[in-house]
Amino acid sequence: MKRYDLVIVGAGPSGLSAAIEAAKKGMKVVVFDENEKPGGQLFKQIHKFFGSKEHRAKIRGFVIGQQLLEEAGEAGVEVVLNATVIGLYQDKEVVVRKGDRVEHYKGNAVIIATGAAENMVTFPGWTLPGVIGAGAAQTMMNIHGVLPGKRVLMLGSGNVGLVVSFQLEQCGCEVAAIVDAAPRVGGYGVHAAKVARTGVPFYLSHTVVEAEGEDHVTGVTIAEIDSNFQFIPGTEKHFDVDTICVAVGLSPMSQLLKMAGCKMEDDPKRGGQVPICDPYGRTSLPGVFAAGDVAGIEEASSAMIEGRMAGIVAAEYLGYIDEEELKSELASLDEALNGLRQGMFAPQNRGKAIEKTEEGIDISESLLKNGYVADDEIEKYPGVTHKTGIHPVIECTQNIPCNPCQDACKKGCISIGSKITSLPIVVDDSECINCGMCVASCSGQAIFLVDESCQDGTATVTLPYEFLPLPEAGTKGKGLGRDGKVVCDAEVVSVKSMKAFDKTNLLTIRVPREYAMKARFFKVV
Amino acid sequence: MSERIKEHPILGVQEKGKSVKFTFDGKELEGYEGEPIAAALKANGVMVHRYTRKEHKPRGIFCAIGRCTDCVMVVNGVPNVRTCITPLVEGMEVCTQYGVSAKPFEEQ
Repeated sequence: MKRYDLVIVGAGPSGLSAAIEAAKKGMKVVVFDENEKPGGQLFKQIHKFFGSKEHRAKIRGFVIGQQLLEEAGEAGVEVVLNATVIGLYQDKEVVVRKGDRVEHYKGNAVIIATGAAENMVTFPGWTLPGVIGAGAAQTMMNIHGVLPGKRVLMLGSGNVGLVVSFQLEQCGCEVAAIVDAAPRVGGYGVHAAKVARTGVPFYLSHTVVEAEGEDHVTGVTIAEIDSNFQFIPGTEKHFDVDTICVAVGLSPMSQLLKMAGCKMEDDPKRGGQVPICDPYGRTSLPGVFAAGDVAGIEEASSAMIEGRMAGIVAAEYLGYIDEEELKSELASLDEALNGLRQGMFAPQNRGKAIEKTEEGIDISESLLKNGYVADDEIEKYPGVTHKTGIHPVIECTQNIPCNPCQDACKKGCISIGSKITSLPIVVDDSECINCGMCVASCSGQAIFLVDESCQDGTATVTLPYEFLPLPEAGTKGKGLGRDGKVVCDAEVVSVKSMKAFDKTNLLTIRVPREYAMKARFFKVV
Repeated sequence: MSERIKEHPILGVQEKGKSVKFTFDGKELEGYEGEPIAAALKANGVMVHRYTRKEHKPRGIFCAIGRCTDCVMVVNGVPNVRTCITPLVEGMEVCTQYGVSAKPFEEQ
């Protein structure tokens, strides 16, 4: 039996972050992961992350994964792959299956960072090939380079459903609709808006009646549901799809903690069966810690901070640092984590219907129902202003913890202020130089550069564009509104693809002036 | 292999291992060495991996990360192989699984 200072189960964002911190304190650390590759779900995340600089905001998930692996390597962390931890017993004995062998290890401390598993819903036909988890879609397209399907219906409008829908479109699939039994879009409005403007319809208060097909999915019927989740007859809608993607939440994979004898509780706000633990992951068993989604469903950015916290408390538990060092390190991490747990999507607000922003502006009803802010609502938000000459139009309408736009503008045109969830404003008397950094830096793809004062009665709109093929200057097509419907003729004036934009291309289109505040996407029709 | 993503706007051209041949129910197919068997099958348009033992219902890829066991098949004569996490090797014999056998139910 081999002994380590610290055994970590799970090489995802929290497990790796914990390992890096602990190894830096001089601990001998091993991380076991059942997968062939480390990084957990990070390598499937190809969108830019939210948050601020300290949370690695505006960096794409898979790049954060690479960074963590490098840091873990430098810190001397041992990562053992294809190693499934099948047991956690008394005195922190860890049983690991590798292929057809079983090995025993001992950890002086153990951190469980096993993450979460996808939830499922059942409906007639749900077992047909072609009904897949949203995670499966991400795995197939972003890791293995295989299309999950050609035409997909997404069930679930939380961030996973929205982000994966966008990713499906990016790899060339058509998303027929996003469907959710809830009456309101569950994820960030900006994620919904960037899918809606490409023409994907949203069906809230709807769910799947039946998946159709003999040997695999060939279609799906959805219908509206009433407040008791009963189908309303006559509201059925049919879609010809080959794939139904299910994104209906996650549940903590907390079995090892339960097996070890940690006190558990059922907490719907944290996603199900979770260990009872303090804010730093200390469970009821001394020396056994939990970090990341296993201790309550959040997202990768907070999982990384929770992992670091657990690594540090484990170091203190074994005497690698003293109490004073522990306190000072946790204080700065507390602040970082607290920053992410603000705003209308914070864990404490889960399930609440929030009607106004922190600024007192009504939340867009259309955004919550249809996935886009209606034309007659958009001017209410402080980032949406009119000016002579080119200027940013920031369609950020919900309080989420994110501020890369403020740092992106070197001319000081954009301000969020000290509160990270505040809606960005366009600073009076600032001068936009059309650099496009704000457009490319906005993780929600909610910033546009608009010039309504062109001489010839036209306007230009610069929008973020992450699709292939990339249109060339001179391409004629249509301007689509926030709802994804054609609003006007449009011509591509320029396409900018700079390294600093990190794969977010900037497409500038020319539209009739009256569509300057309406056209938000470009399509060759 | 029309279901492969040739170029991705964010990930670019994804690197693949060398091209290898394998069989699916005796038919020769091509895939890339080291990719999951399920990915190679999906790229070749295969949807059904197995039929359930009691009700003979079709199953295919569901979780794609080795958790749900819906995608198991008979590989090189061994049943219940999770194809979504088992790397493809040149010459592999992959068969549709009926119950726990590669033989169709009527032959069992």
